[in-house]
Amino acid sequence: MSCVNLIEKERNAIINPLKTCQPLGAMYAVTGVRRAVPLVHGSQGCSTFVRYSLSRHFREPSEIAVTSLHEDAAVFGGRRNLVEGLQNVAIRLKPSLIGVITTCSSEIIGDDVFGFIKTAKKELTEKIGEEKTEKIKIVPISTPSFVETHLKGYDNAVKALIDHVAEPSEPNEKINIIPGMVNPGDVREIKHILSLMDIEGIVLTDISDPFDSPLRPSTAELKPYYPKGGTTVEEIADSANSSGTLSLTKYAGSGALSLEKKYNVPAELGPLPIGVQNTDQFLRNLKKLTGQDITDDILDERGLLIDSMADLSSRYLHNRTVAIYGDPEITAGMARFVGELGMVPQLVLTGANNKEFVPDIENIAKDTGNEIDTMVGQDLRALEVYLKDNPVDLMIGSSDGRLIAKEVGIPLVRVGFPVYDRVGYHRHPVVGYNGGIHLIDMITNTVLENYYEHQHWKLQQ
Amino acid sequence: MEPIVETFESRKKHMCIKGEGLSIPVCDKASLPGTVTQRTCVYGGARIILMPITDSIHLVHGPIGCAACTWDIRGSKSSREDLYKKGCSTDLGEKDIVFGGEKKLYETVIELHRLYNPGAVFVYATCVAGVIGDDIKAVCKKSEEVTGCRVIPVQSEGFQNHNKTKGHWIGCDALLDHVIGTKEPEKTTPFDINVVGEFNVAGDFWGFKPLLEEMGVNIISTITGDSHVDEIAQAHRAKLNIVQCQKSSNYLVKKMEKKYGIPSIKVNFFGLEQTVNSLREIADFFGDPEMIERTEKIIEKGLQEVEHKTDEYRERLNGKTVALYVGGNKAWSLVRAFEELGMDVMMSGTKNGIREDYERIKEAVRDGTIIVDDASSTELARLLKKYRPNLLISGAKEKYISLKLGIPFCDFNHDRISAFAGFKGFVSFAKEVDASVSSPVFDLNSTSLRGD
Repeated sequence: MSCVNLIEKERNAIINPLKTCQPLGAMYAVTGVRRAVPLVHGSQGCSTFVRYSLSRHFREPSEIAVTSLHEDAAVFGGRRNLVEGLQNVAIRLKPSLIGVITTCSSEIIGDDVFGFIKTAKKELTEKIGEEKTEKIKIVPISTPSFVETHLKGYDNAVKALIDHVAEPSEPNEKINIIPGMVNPGDVREIKHILSLMDIEGIVLTDISDPFDSPLRPSTAELKPYYPKGGTTVEEIADSANSSGTLSLTKYAGSGALSLEKKYNVPAELGPLPIGVQNTDQFLRNLKKLTGQDITDDILDERGLLIDSMADLSSRYLHNRTVAIYGDPEITAGMARFVGELGMVPQLVLTGANNKEFVPDIENIAKDTGNEIDTMVGQDLRALEVYLKDNPVDLMIGSSDGRLIAKEVGIPLVRVGFPVYDRVGYHRHPVVGYNGGIHLIDMITNTVLENYYEHQHWKLQQ
Repeated sequence: MEPIVETFESRKKHMCIKGEGLSIPVCDKASLPGTVTQRTCVYGGARIILMPITDSIHLVHGPIGCAACTWDIRGSKSSREDLYKKGCSTDLGEKDIVFGGEKKLYETVIELHRLYNPGAVFVYATCVAGVIGDDIKAVCKKSEEVTGCRVIPVQSEGFQNHNKTKGHWIGCDALLDHVIGTKEPEKTTPFDINVVGEFNVAGDFWGFKPLLEEMGVNIISTITGDSHVDEIAQAHRAKLNIVQCQKSSNYLVKKMEKKYGIPSIKVNFFGLEQTVNSLREIADFFGDPEMIERTEKIIEKGLQEVEHKTDEYRERLNGKTVALYVGGNKAWSLVRAFEELGMDVMMSGTKNGIREDYERIKEAVRDGTIIVDDASSTELARLLKKYRPNLLISGAKEKYISLKLGIPFCDFNHDRISAFAGFKGFVSFAKEVDASVSSPVFDLNSTSLRGD
């Protein structure tokens, strides 16, 4: 029987969270803009702990400024901190763009961020002149930490960047891509696919180089330090003139919809191209928006993925049960892909509480002929309790599940954010046909290591 | 005079060179808004003190991020429980902000108690809990009455102060007000001690715990590495407090001295000389001739065991320079250890130092050493670029800044894997420092392909 069994949360407490708050998503998004500085309007911990989380996953510097709110700001408002903070960033770091990211405290004390930005610009103009001031885009991004999750923060940031920067002029025949909160390897794979299709893209925003940048001290001598790459402000401006916007996640489509509404740039939302059918859909969307044909090179890459699936799935993977946890888009994508491999997505679990998730999983259950236990707005404690009663062959999710994996004795394939106890995961894609090949290799090797006699000569075939 | 590095006018006095006029930098000031600060919030400070209590639930009362970004990041090891590794949050949402989060907090405490039966539930206030005005103390009191379990309020609203040190004090206060002195030990000895300010990061405590036991002292509690809350409850009966991290925990021992008359000794188990001195000082404090004799034997044995084990490393490290940029204590406590490796500490700085911390640094370093306070990421990068030390000792956020500039890095913070304290710890320390400084990778980095 193919259906979804929705398992409700039975607690108030969150125990071992599978989500974090909005500002992290916004800091991630602004980092993907070239020479941009995320400026967090909140406590020092709001930037510092996020920098720690991002650095731990990407093994890269994470340069995020903060207005350092203290108690007097809670009483008198954070105006002085933000106005001064903006000027300090503008004068010392000479950025192309500053993303002002609010937090729970600045939202609750009711700081008028729009008004403060105006004041800061006025004061800045007096100090450095109008021309230099106008060159720095200042984008307010509202990210109340007590509403939804980091994905909403990402969505709000991408939309704010578009709404404040995009400017219609001549059609450019480019495609906008909103990749969602993925890894540098994923963005590079998307760009690879675009280049095979001979499509020029604008990635909103492109974290691939900022979160995976070369060690070349001679180039880092530039004052001040900015990582290589990122989407330029000009590209964001030009996004109003593209032939279409593809948001690879329906959980962060507001920017795409905004471009559609304001500038008639057609939008397509989701799915994240994980596995065969989702990547097929991505290519169909690309074709639909650009009229470009799907090239032989791409069909070859698809063929390579199908080839490795044919080699491996029946022999090692068929009917093996999987528990998948993480962000909704990646979790849904993985569920579909393991279904394509003949495995059974027995449990999918996400920390977010998005209403689109359950219908998504219902479709996957129907298409793959599985009965899928589904948890929404849950935590890792729920995963642990479930697995103790309902063991599976394989867990797929972030490093945060490693202790559970050990406790219940189920091997863990690391996918998603954060991965900090293994290396290379941010570099390799999970999206596109190449991402599929990478995933099937990881999954199969994990199965081989855990469920077969390691030295058996037949494993070689 | 040429500034140490280019920076804001108001920041210049936060950096100085020992022996050149100002030997203590301006410190303990609010960071400039708009800088990439290496500091954290008051909540972070309190959590650092208390999180290593292993049999307790650490419940964060706030929106999810405060717990999500900080659970299980303290590298404290446990020999018994792992409850402290759980990330618990009340996950305050929009409705709670409007109507208050007290009811949700109460229900959450009751649930967690029912699920885990912990030694205690520590409830941490975040910025939001403060701004919406939840009465955490009242909720803790009520849920303590209902559960019979210790439910301890930690008033650690993140934005209370620019200095995380305030958070250390708040963590200490939670122990002083609600834990220490609430249980009597079954037996006491004349040699009862507390090991204070030792958080057992990477198992550091286990590097010198056996030495203390062999000396014949009786450890009532560690505050807080590898501890149970009931042990800390008995800490008031100790005859002596020894303090490893003086930055975070001097406050606690001073208060314990006032309240319970317990004297304290500052110890330092990083480096051979400091380990030897610390053991001797403890033995001298008790003045027991047999203990003194045993201690000398332990020292002799300890030094013998590691003799020549660091020679190879010292040979390579001799004359190399090191910069320290840390939370506080390690800015002075590591200086001798590096000198024992033949290395030269050319810079030492802290993110949250107060005046007494910089006095300690000034005493520890040689003339000509740069002393910095609250350097932002940009300033740190400029310091590294300009003075190019052979090694930076700092934490995870600084690691990649340093490596990107081609400067070797060694983690001495929560993320390190090897224990560095005590005699054997010193060998691991030398080994890891050598692995960073002597790595061939950085030679490859300087290879020129284009003749530039």
